[in-house]
Formats: sequence, structure tokens, C-alpha cells
Amino acid sequence: MATTALTAQIVLKWQNSFARLNRGQPGISGLLSFSEAWSIATAFLRPRDLADTTPSEHNMQDVRASFDILSRSKMLPMLLENFLEDMRKQLYLITRDINTMMSQYENTGDPQYIASLVYRLVEWFQAWSPIPELGYTVISAYKLAFQTHVFSVLPPSFSSGFKDLIASTFTLSYSTSPPSWTMGPSSSEVKTPPVRPDIPLWTAYDTLGLLDRYESLISSVCYEHIEAHVLETCTGKWGEPMLAPLREWMADKVVPWMIMPYARGARTAAEAQSMLQSVGSRFDFHVCKTLSDLRTREIFDIIIDYPDSLSALQDLKECLQRVDQRTQLVATLRKANKRRLLHPGADTKDILTQYVSIIRCLRIVDPPGVLLFKVADPIRRYLRERADTIRCIVASLVGDGESGDSLVDENEPIQPLQQMQVEDYTDPNWEPEPIDAGPDFRTNRPSDVISTLVSIYDSKDLFVKELQVLLAQRLLAITDGNYERERRNIEILKIRFGEAALQVCEVMLRDMTDSKRIDQHVQSHESLVLHPTIISRHFWPPLQTSKFIMPGQFKQIQDNYAKEFTAFKPDKRLHWLPHLGTISLEITLQDRTVSAEVPPLAAAFIELFSEKDTWTVDELVNKIGSIDRSSALKALATWVDLGVLKEDDNSQYKLLETADASGSGSRTAAPRPANIMEDAPAVLTVQQQQAEQMKVYWKVLHRGNAHKPRVTEFGPDTDDAEDCSGYDRTIEQLGAFMEAARREGLVTVKDGVWKLNRQ
Amino acid sequence: MKVVIKNWHAIAQWRWDTGSNDPDDADGEGDVCGICRVPYEGCCPSCKMPGDDCPLSALGECSHVFHMHCLLQWIGTAASKQQCPMDRRQWVTAERKVDSTRS
Ligand SMILES: [Zn+2]
Ligand SMILES: [Zn+2]
Ligand SMILES: [Zn+2]
Repeated sequence: MATTALTAQIVLKWQNSFARLNRGQPGISGLLSFSEAWSIATAFLRPRDLADTTPSEHNMQDVRASFDILSRSKMLPMLLENFLEDMRKQLYLITRDINTMMSQYENTGDPQYIASLVYRLVEWFQAWSPIPELGYTVISAYKLAFQTHVFSVLPPSFSSGFKDLIASTFTLSYSTSPPSWTMGPSSSEVKTPPVRPDIPLWTAYDTLGLLDRYESLISSVCYEHIEAHVLETCTGKWGEPMLAPLREWMADKVVPWMIMPYARGARTAAEAQSMLQSVGSRFDFHVCKTLSDLRTREIFDIIIDYPDSLSALQDLKECLQRVDQRTQLVATLRKANKRRLLHPGADTKDILTQYVSIIRCLRIVDPPGVLLFKVADPIRRYLRERADTIRCIVASLVGDGESGDSLVDENEPIQPLQQMQVEDYTDPNWEPEPIDAGPDFRTNRPSDVISTLVSIYDSKDLFVKELQVLLAQRLLAITDGNYERERRNIEILKIRFGEAALQVCEVMLRDMTDSKRIDQHVQSHESLVLHPTIISRHFWPPLQTSKFIMPGQFKQIQDNYAKEFTAFKPDKRLHWLPHLGTISLEITLQDRTVSAEVPPLAAAFIELFSEKDTWTVDELVNKIGSIDRSSALKALATWVDLGVLKEDDNSQYKLLETADASGSGSRTAAPRPANIMEDAPAVLTVQQQQAEQMKVYWKVLHRGNAHKPRVTEFGPDTDDAEDCSGYDRTIEQLGAFMEAARREGLVTVKDGVWKLNRQ
Repeated sequence: MKVVIKNWHAIAQWRWDTGSNDPDDADGEGDVCGICRVPYEGCCPSCKMPGDDCPLSALGECSHVFHMHCLLQWIGTAASKQQCPMDRRQWVTAERKVDSTRS
């Protein structure tokens, strides 16, 4: 119910309103002019359909005057509200265009439709935009209303299309013949093309507020662009530095591109530079991260490739200083080592070689040695478990004479073994341990390769023993009196292990010299075919013992030699080690002469056959002395192989004064299969090739230790399996091979243990 | 059949001829010097090379033998009173009978 007071209030309001609109004009003229101004302004602002091509004629002077009247009547907010209301009624036009063009994009996947859409939206935006005279409030309210509508209507597929479009600007930015759609609808007008074909697109994005809304999407496009480039240019390319060229590429190609999305407002170069600084640093970080990830994935093969991969390692070092990927590097390498290196099929020599490469490589990447410590630990523990590790290291130390692939770099100075040291805090060069060093990490780890290898074990004594054994074997095998190489080895080893440890080796060498001198003396008195190496017991590693007596002429020669020796050295006697050494013989038979170089036991047996031509094994053994049966059989097999003896059915051995008519047939030629094909095809079938391959593998298996086949030797692409190198034969391949061998009946498997099927 | 030896590379050890060598002990450690407890074919504590550089002493009349260096050092001390360290009898070098029995 209206009270008097309320009525009075309404009257007052109306009067105020009238006064404002009439603006103190005489009569109601003010009110009339306001009404005209309102209709001119609203007509001018009314959003029109772009399809409506009828030219709209506005007298800009009248329009401005009208805006002025409305402004003075404080009616601009009302005008804006009216304009936005008109605009809402027309928004369906924009929605229609968006839907049309987005479905074109969705049907083709071609981002050029996104570009067209963007340009079309710019056209709408400009066509409906109020004139700047209306002030910032009106313009920004319009912009907000426009963008709110557009963003609410754009389907989700717009993001991916826009992403593609952004990505295309990388190549577009320096394209000399850009496609016409990049120029937008204004390209039809006579206009000089922009310096950079991508500029119109960026201007359009900016107009529509897309740069702010899709900021993270734009960065992700740049990240992906960087990743793709790094992977494309750097994968597997380890021989030259890549980080520096990548940074050049960033400066030449990516930074200019970045100006559009990230430094559009810059007026001077300096301003642009400061605007780009933080984003540029993020992208440089991404370059390092991507390269470091790549190199981390490749690290095992990079190490195999060392030293050819030196550049890749130096790049990695630089990347790791910027990006903390050390933990990942350690984890990846440890995993790869476990999978590709530390398995029963790998040769100890190969494990050691790779370990040494790891040492060298990780020292480049991380000189303090924290990474190496973490990666090396499982390798060292694994090597410690292997029976032949010391032997392998020692063989490499004295050069095994087969190949130049010694673990020791010849350029590395020979130096005494370095022991672990206790930290010395008074050392002026002392530095705290790196932050990611574990509690076990020791800074003063030995730095040369040999010391590192020897330090796998707690004491070097095992090495010294193994060295002595190896040297003893070498020296005892020398028949030409030339042991200069061993002398040189011992000199080097003395530097590494110390004089005292090598003292017994000195004695061994002196025994060699003495033996030579004694032999010269003996031969000058009585020319004998026997040339012994006379050793000092207690100074040589324990030798196999066996007690047998050389028969016949052999005994005679030994006694003659011993007599001459004692004549020369009256206070000494000779004690023969009959089973050691080698004897070169010529066996003259009725129809042939056989030359052979055999161990003494074999020589002893054949000498006995000159007494009578048929012996049982037991008779032979009894005659010679205490010999184990397997050694005896092996010695006899030597002569059977040479066709001098033949084993008959009663396990008797018979001398073949004339060559066996059937030859040693049963040994050399395998019985022919019954169903041999008369006309074998010229080309082997795949199945036949596989069978041939199997024979090669099989030979390898037999050549090596049959119970511990060397996986690395199984190469399907080599004639001589020993040429295979690397660790690319997987345990799975070995498994497949063993499985094939089982099918052929060559091996049996029980409880996961493979056994040769010796029939 | 005829077996002709063209060349024979053999391995042998040298032993001191102490005249009491037990041929059955051929592969054993052998006797040790009563002074330094090192085998005869080893060398005395002051030597590095065995054999001619560190020979055995002459046989004592008490039938004891030592590294020559060990014995000389012992005899050189006042405490030794020129006695054999094993049996405290006056040290007298025995005649060597070994060569005569052998040749
Ligand atoms: Zn002694
Ligand atoms: Zn001595
Ligand atoms: Zn005595």
C-alpha cells in the first residue's frame, strides 16, 4: 500500500530523472535531444551481421555529438547495457560460423581452417567493436563479453587444432612462400606481405585474447618442438658435440619465434631481451633436460662406443650441471648393466672391459666419482663372485699376447697401486664430499684403472699369487730361451705391486737364465736332445705332481744329463718332473714316418710300444709308474688320433706298423645318412641354413666350456663365432639356441641345467 | 718301429746334495735349516736368491747342515762358543763323502 511518503519519494525521483535528461534545457528540448541522441548511438552500436553488405551510413559527427549528450546525461552505463543486450541477440551469428568452420577442421584435420576461424572471429570482433571514444570501461566490457561467448562455444577439438596451428608457425616464421591462408582475409587487399608470414596470425590471436588463454599450450608446443629437434638431430650421434649446436639452433630459430608470443609489446631490443629472459631460460633448461634424458637412455651403448663417444659424454656432463638427472643416470645404467652385462652368459673379460670403460666414461661425466661409485658397486660385487676374475685381470696386466684389447691403456703411466686412504682434513686441498655421495663413498678412491680393479678384492695377495702362476706357466712353456717379454712384464709389475711381491718372480727369471747357461755347458760336453728348465722349488707355484719313470732311451738321456749337471754343480742334483714339458718325436714305421710334438707321458707310452706292439692300459700304467687312468687314456688317444695306435675290442692298444686300411675312418668321416638326396638343390633351404648355423654354434660350445657357453660368441651373422663382440646376444637368444640344440638331441635339460648329450 | 727324439724340453728341480737326501721325499718340502727354519733350497733371511748365492754350509761332524750364511752369522756371535746350534757340540766340518760314494 502506497503511503504518502512513498508517493512523495517517487515524485522526487521522477523530477530528478527529468532534470538530468533535460540537462537544464528550456522546456523539454533537452529531453527531445536526448531521445534523438539515444537512437543515433544505439543504431550506430547495434551489432550487424557480416553477411549484411548494405553499407551503413553514419554521420560520425552526429554520432560523436550523441555520445556526448548521453555521457553528460550519465546514460553511458545504460547505453552499454543496451549494446550488450543487442549483442547477445546477435551472438548466434558467431556461433554459426564457429560451428561451420570447426566441422570443416574436424573433417579434414587441417589447421588452416582454424586459421580461417581465427580471422573470421577477428572480423566479427572488429565489426562490433564500439569506438574508442566510449572509453576503456566500455571497450573492456565488450571484449570480455565477446571472449566469454567465443570461449564458451569453441568445442574441445579447438585446442588441438590451435596447437597444430601454433606448431606450424615454427616453419612459417621463416617461410619464403607461405600459403595464402596465413595472411587472413585482408590478403585479398593490395598489401605488402609482412616481413614474417606468421605475424598476422599472432596479431589475430592477440586480438582475441587467445595468447593469454592458451599460454601453457603455446609453451608446450615449444617444448615439443625442442624435444623433436633434439631427438632428430642427436639420437645415436655421439661423435661430435651436440649441445653447442643445439643452443645455436635455439638462438637462430627458436628465439626469433618466441618474440611473437612472449615479447610482442616490446619497443626496443633491450626490452624484448628482458621479456624473453625467463622464458628463454626455461627453454634452455628444456634443451638440456631433453638431451640429458636421451643420453641417459643411450648411456650403456655410449660407454661401449668409448672413446669414440667422448663428445656425447662431455655434453652429458654439461647438461647434468644444469639439470639434476644424476639419480636417473645411475638408475638407468645400473639397470642396463644388470640386464646386459652381469649375467652368466657374459664373459668375465667382457665384463671387465665394460667396467673399465664405465670407469673412464663416468670420470668424464662426474670427476669427483660419486656416479662411478654408485654404478660400480654392483659390478664389483658381481666380479668378486666370479672365479676367473683375478685371472682375467692378471692376464690383461701381463698382456695375454692374443690381442691389443688389454684393459690397461698403454698411454697410462705405470704407477704403484694406490690404496684407499683415510681422509686427511689437514690437507689444504681437502674438499667436502659431493652432496649426493652416500655414506660409503670415499673421496680418495684409487684413480688409475689397475688400482681400481685390484681394489675389487680386499688384498692384493691373490693377484700376486695369480701372477706367479701365470708367469710360471708362461716361463715353463718357453722352449726357445727367449723370455724377454716376461722380463719386461715383471719390471712393470714390480712398479705396480712392489719389489717384494715380485721377488719370487725374480727367482723364476734367474732360474731361466741359469738353465740356459747350464744347458750350454752340458751341451758342450755331451750333445743331448734334452734341454731342461731347472727351477728352484719353493719359488715356483705348486706344480702338478705325478710319479712315473720315463722308459728306455728317455731314462738314459735323463741320467746322462743329470750326470753332466752334477759334474758342473757338484753340490746339486737334478730332480725330474717327468710329466712336464714337451717332446718332439719322429716315429719311423714300416710304411711311413710320423712327426709329433707330445707330452712326456705320450712319448713314454710310444717308447714302450717299441718293446712289443700290443699293450693293455693296465700293463702300460704298471710299467710306467703311478699314473691315473684318464691321463693314460688321453695320452693314448694322441697316438690313436695320429693313426699310430689302434684300440681293439679288448681295450688293447695295438701299434699300426702299416697304416690301417680303413684309415682312421671312424673318426674323421661321420657315417653317411641312409637317405642322402641324389640331387641336392643348389641353394640351401632356410631349414638347412639353420642346421648349418647350428653346427657353427655347436663347435663354439664344444670349443669353450660346454657347461658355461659364452653367450657373446653366438652370432648368427659371422662365420667365426669368435669374431662376435659386444653384448647383443641376449640370454633369450641363448635360450632359443639351447632349445634348438635340445630338439636336435645334442643336449638335455633337467631342472634348468643343460647337459651335453654325450653318446 | 723306431722312436727318434728330435728335441726334449723338460722341467727339473735342483736339490742340494746333503748326502742324506731321502729319494722318497722327492716331492716333499725337504729339510729345513735348523737356524732360520727355511728349507735348504729356499734362501736364508739375508738373501733374496736361492742356490749358488746362498749355499749350504759344509756338513758338520755332528751331521748337521745349515745355510752357510746362517751358520757364519751364528758362529760369529760370542754366545755361540763355536758350537753347533742344534746339539751344542763343537762345530767341526766333516769330510765330504758324497762324491766318493757317487762316482
Ligand atoms: Zn738358514
Ligand atoms: Zn744367504
Ligand atoms: Zn750339530
